[in-house]
Amino acid sequence: MRLAKTRHNISKFAERTQCPTLDSVSAIWARGLVKHFDEVRAVDGIDLDIAPGTIFGFLGQNGSGKTTTIRMLTTLLRPTAGSARVDGLDILDDARAVRRRIGVALQEAGLDDIQTGRELLTLQARLFGMGGNARRQRVDELLAVVDLEDAADRAIGTYSGGMKRRLDLAAALVHRPGIIFLDEPTTGLDPVSREAIWRYVNRLSVEDGITVFLTTQYLEEADRLAHDLAIIDEGRIIARGSPAEMKASIGTDVVTVEVPVADGLGRAAEVAAGVAGVERVQIADGAAVVYVPDGARAVARIVLALDDAGIEVGDVGISRPSLDDVFLEATGHHLRVEEPAAAEGGAA
Amino acid sequence: MQPLATVYFLTVRSLREAVRNPAQEVGNIFVPLFFFAVTVGSIGSIAADAFGIDNFTGFQVPVAILSAASSISASAGLGTITDIQRGYFDKLLLTPAPRSAIVLGRIAADGVRAVIITGVIVVVGLIFRTGFDTGVFGVIVLLAGSFFFGTAYSGFNAAVALRTGSPQAAAAGGLLLFPLIFLSTAFAPKEVFADWLQVLATINPITYILEAQRSLIIEGWNALDLLRGAAAIVGFGIASFTLTFLALRWRTS
Repeated sequence: MRLAKTRHNISKFAERTQCPTLDSVSAIWARGLVKHFDEVRAVDGIDLDIAPGTIFGFLGQNGSGKTTTIRMLTTLLRPTAGSARVDGLDILDDARAVRRRIGVALQEAGLDDIQTGRELLTLQARLFGMGGNARRQRVDELLAVVDLEDAADRAIGTYSGGMKRRLDLAAALVHRPGIIFLDEPTTGLDPVSREAIWRYVNRLSVEDGITVFLTTQYLEEADRLAHDLAIIDEGRIIARGSPAEMKASIGTDVVTVEVPVADGLGRAAEVAAGVAGVERVQIADGAAVVYVPDGARAVARIVLALDDAGIEVGDVGISRPSLDDVFLEATGHHLRVEEPAAAEGGAA
Repeated sequence: MQPLATVYFLTVRSLREAVRNPAQEVGNIFVPLFFFAVTVGSIGSIAADAFGIDNFTGFQVPVAILSAASSISASAGLGTITDIQRGYFDKLLLTPAPRSAIVLGRIAADGVRAVIITGVIVVVGLIFRTGFDTGVFGVIVLLAGSFFFGTAYSGFNAAVALRTGSPQAAAAGGLLLFPLIFLSTAFAPKEVFADWLQVLATINPITYILEAQRSLIIEGWNALDLLRGAAAIVGFGIASFTLTFLALRWRTS
């Protein structure tokens, strides 16, 4: 079903860009993309091939290079090296044309508190060359889509965090872009507002065939929305595939054994690694993470082995592999989510 | 998107911001008028004997105008920084609008605000019997000059805002005009200055802008003064816009 939808979107994209070879079409394509800030290599050689009409999740913790990548692809930053094409256009040679075809909602909802929501969308539409009735209709339509009709004529400074994010999303869509970049669209939002944003993003892909490039530090968000996913750490892509493929690549269940005595953790890992069937063991956040097929049966063997070795065992958990396990396996540490001081929200 | 249309839309947006923040505009007009009243009150009665200036109130009107333009452009620099800090400047850069036009929109709004504030100061001056020797057409020339000076001077603050992104630096940038005003013929004619100050006043472009404005108010039409004033404003504009576009290029590279 998803493959058929993707093929349909590729056909529409190829028709729009008049590209003769479907196989070579990427909505977003990059090779060896690098960005240095003085001595810091914020992005260190990224390759991307994102199919039209898909939601591409770019998962990583703060400072991993997600935002720098998005700023290069959206023409806000010049790459130090490498090349990229968005909707078939070079981000350096055709920067203005690229901006015409993309919508962008950056991490901080970039809004002007003094304007009203309607004024902001109207100005945005004008700057994209939309005029007259078409502009007015589009603004009204978007205000309805993001449930801001009642607040449309209030100053943006009076909006809640969730309302600002929804308005920012509407501003990114005002000129009907084929590709939209969303930089951590739900960071700092409460669960209700987060759910609302997820609903809109999903609708963009499913109903409108828009390609979505979504950066996130939330595993659940990536798992739920993304058709295709890349994990970025220290400026490099370290894993790539659909969420299901990534989790399947772990190939085992995950048994997490907490050891209350800190200096017993290394020995616990050694003992667990010697248990029959265990494929590998990692230490993360005060626990031994044991990768083993058929975890339900193996857990008893692991606990007995630890007990025989005189190691005190705390909580024990068994789970199917999650994206966090994929992240842990690829980076050696869990994904650390950094929230703003207070979650904002208010879906109303 | 045509550059002129972009400038127009963003000028309207900046003016709307000014209308919705009236306290700031009151401050921009109050301070120059306060110094105008204090200067005229303290020196006005001796100006005729000391400097040979009969209409000292009219002599001081241009100083109030330039001070007001300076205040306006300082607040506009802060507005640019607010846009940068909120991320709204990035939102504008992400449109296909020419980037130079995005900056020029706010600068042009400063020019419009300078025209409005000049009109208020001229009316206050007329109430204090400054007269206006070149009549209605002279007022129009003065307002046009204020527009071009307002935009030219605003460019310096836009450059500081774009280069530093710092509210403190932008506020300091607005003070650039004050030493130039004190080193000009703002309070007395050049002839009464010490030699070294005469040299500085002669090379100071503010002297020529003040003299052009004064000629309209208290002397009558004087083509040479107007040409010198126009040349000084153009020089200001070339310098400030060059710095602005260099700062914009730095910010977007």
